[in-house]
Amino acid sequence: MKNVFFLICCLVATVSQAQSQMPNVQLKNLDNNYQNVYKDYAAKDKVYVFSFWATWCAPCISELEAIKENYAAWQEEVDFEVVAISIDDSRTMRRIKPMINGKGWEYEVLLDTNQELKRALQINNIPHVIVVKNQKVEYVHNGYAEGGEEELFEKIKSL
Amino acid sequence: MVKKIIFLLGGVIALSTSATAQDTINEPNKIQGRFFGGVESNSQYYVDDPKLGDFLYEDRFRSNNYINVNYNYGRFTAGIQVEAYEKNALLNYNPKFKGTDLATFYLDYKSEKLDITVGHFYEQFGSGLILRTWEDRALGINNALRGGRIEFRPNNNISLKALYGRQRSGFTVSDGHIFGFDSEFYLTDYLNFEKSDLSVGASYVGRYEKTDIENPQFSELTNAMAFRFNFFRGSFYASGEANYKTEDAVLSAQNDINGDYVKPGSAYLLNFGYTKSGLGIDVTLRRLENMGFYSERVPENLGDNNTSLNYNDRILNYLPGLTKQHHSNLANIYVYQAQANVSYLGVDKMKAGETGGQIDVFYNFKKGTALGGKYGTKVAANVSSWYNLPGEYRFFPQEYDTKFLGVAQKYFSDYNLEVKKKLSENWRSAFYYVHQYYDKSLIEGGDVVNADVLAFENTWAFGEKQSIRLEVEHLWADADRKNWAGGTLEYNFNRNLSFYVWDIYNYGTDKESEKNHYYNFGGAYRFGAWRIAANYGRQRGGLVCVGGVCRFVPENTGFTLNVSTSF
Repeated sequence: MKNVFFLICCLVATVSQAQSQMPNVQLKNLDNNYQNVYKDYAAKDKVYVFSFWATWCAPCISELEAIKENYAAWQEEVDFEVVAISIDDSRTMRRIKPMINGKGWEYEVLLDTNQELKRALQINNIPHVIVVKNQKVEYVHNGYAEGGEEELFEKIKSL
Repeated sequence: MVKKIIFLLGGVIALSTSATAQDTINEPNKIQGRFFGGVESNSQYYVDDPKLGDFLYEDRFRSNNYINVNYNYGRFTAGIQVEAYEKNALLNYNPKFKGTDLATFYLDYKSEKLDITVGHFYEQFGSGLILRTWEDRALGINNALRGGRIEFRPNNNISLKALYGRQRSGFTVSDGHIFGFDSEFYLTDYLNFEKSDLSVGASYVGRYEKTDIENPQFSELTNAMAFRFNFFRGSFYASGEANYKTEDAVLSAQNDINGDYVKPGSAYLLNFGYTKSGLGIDVTLRRLENMGFYSERVPENLGDNNTSLNYNDRILNYLPGLTKQHHSNLANIYVYQAQANVSYLGVDKMKAGETGGQIDVFYNFKKGTALGGKYGTKVAANVSSWYNLPGEYRFFPQEYDTKFLGVAQKYFSDYNLEVKKKLSENWRSAFYYVHQYYDKSLIEGGDVVNADVLAFENTWAFGEKQSIRLEVEHLWADADRKNWAGGTLEYNFNRNLSFYVWDIYNYGTDKESEKNHYYNFGGAYRFGAWRIAANYGRQRGGLVCVGGVCRFVPENTGFTLNVSTSF
């Protein structure tokens, strides 16, 4: 069995590269509608920033707050949209709606309540950001430090 | 068996890659196959600690490793997860996680209307009160079902699911056979609602497990059913669930069952709230009675009074403690775990479940107002309180009769307030106050504790990309281990690299042996999907909780290395 493990490790090493596209997964948004993260975010040349967060994740909230401060101005400059994917499970998901309104966020929020998308993308830590343009994953980053939103925007502009 | 499956999957993958290679040359527009997955490795080297004591278990070096590989081609996706616990799993993981083996595998077909999976799958009905299978590596939970599932969505308004499986336990599956059916109907279009939105759902879970007990008063098939609704109209929303589990044997204090003592279970959940820009109010009420639901009635005895129950093994449903998840170190010393089971700890400590609720309020003082200042001020308050079910209890022979409404002994309450404010372009500040009441005697044995936590957090950004975060906190407790003080310093060198050091000190305890610093320092490097983190420090013994489910860890000291990525 250990040999198989190492074999897979080698395989992983050879194909290891950023995931090329979003998986074909449907999640509900706060209006109770299903959204397909691959097919429904496909407007030509528009940049989509999928930001994985949770109501209990302080750095995730800091990042989304920091983007919010600049959101209107940045959207005038570049055609882009933030899609906030909450991985809150049924323990904390009821806090999502009041929290985003309490904070005045205008992002579309998708609910990954039983980790279907998180698992498909094998995301281990949040915050985790995936930038997609023309259905192709162009950039991935995990973690947030002060000022990280500026770098993210530079990246979005450069696409 | 395992090897055969791996070779089979390997073959499929190899064939389809070679096929795609050709396709891409001849027909560039055709679907391309693609690999995806992830790797995670968490290792620890445990050392002897002059203060906390020597490491008393076998294998100082332990690691948990996960490799997940999937291949997608058009409507088909196949995948496996291999797990390696070498030489042993990290301290206090389920001992059934041992060695290297194939953990899960699946093949999935997905079209617009149909999704069919064979192999291991994860599923949740409603909020999971009668069925949730999921993976949480930090807690050592992977209760995937191995079998088959069909999901059918004839249109956007109807979703139907049917499943059968046996539940993963360690590297094998448990004895119970699980059947499930779930339906959800989105009624807004049918009712011609213009401003409102309504959906309803119903689900069923059956667990069939043979029993050796003669003439049991319970059926070998236990049925659980649930009804739910979800409604919103403008700024108002409400949702609810009613769950019922048919009569089944109740576990005794010795973790055994007999054929005569049987009880049904139930769970009720009601949530409603009001939210508009700058304000959110949310109320959740929940009542659980005898709602523990496992794929086997009797837990596996692992020796030394240790059973599979201690590792969340074979749980079929998700019953999280509904309290706020704090991020301050000290506010996580007294953590509440939902009390869903019948548990008699003594003549004055007889429990059949829990009842209670929590309220959240979020408010944003706008920029330019007196309390908002230049950048605005964000306030969040949360109150939760949980109690035993009221009713008549008899210690011997064991019996109870609960009342639906009202409360009995209080298990836990948490009142907390959080204020966050940006003070200047480069300086953010946050203040937290938490008051907790925890009757440890009713839950894990110990004192009744009243605790107050104050925490003050500041983050300064400077230079091009650097920042410092400093958090100081203090806990006052009138019992148990009494007072603690703590602090965290984090330095972000740039967006990818950060270092931290924290320490919590139990200076107030009456016992000299408990007067310990639990310190930890380390760093993390993040790049793309990669994260590499190393640290050294002392682990405070107690509950490690994620998402309201907890795992007990003993005190230990050591080096930790975590590496993870996805591709």
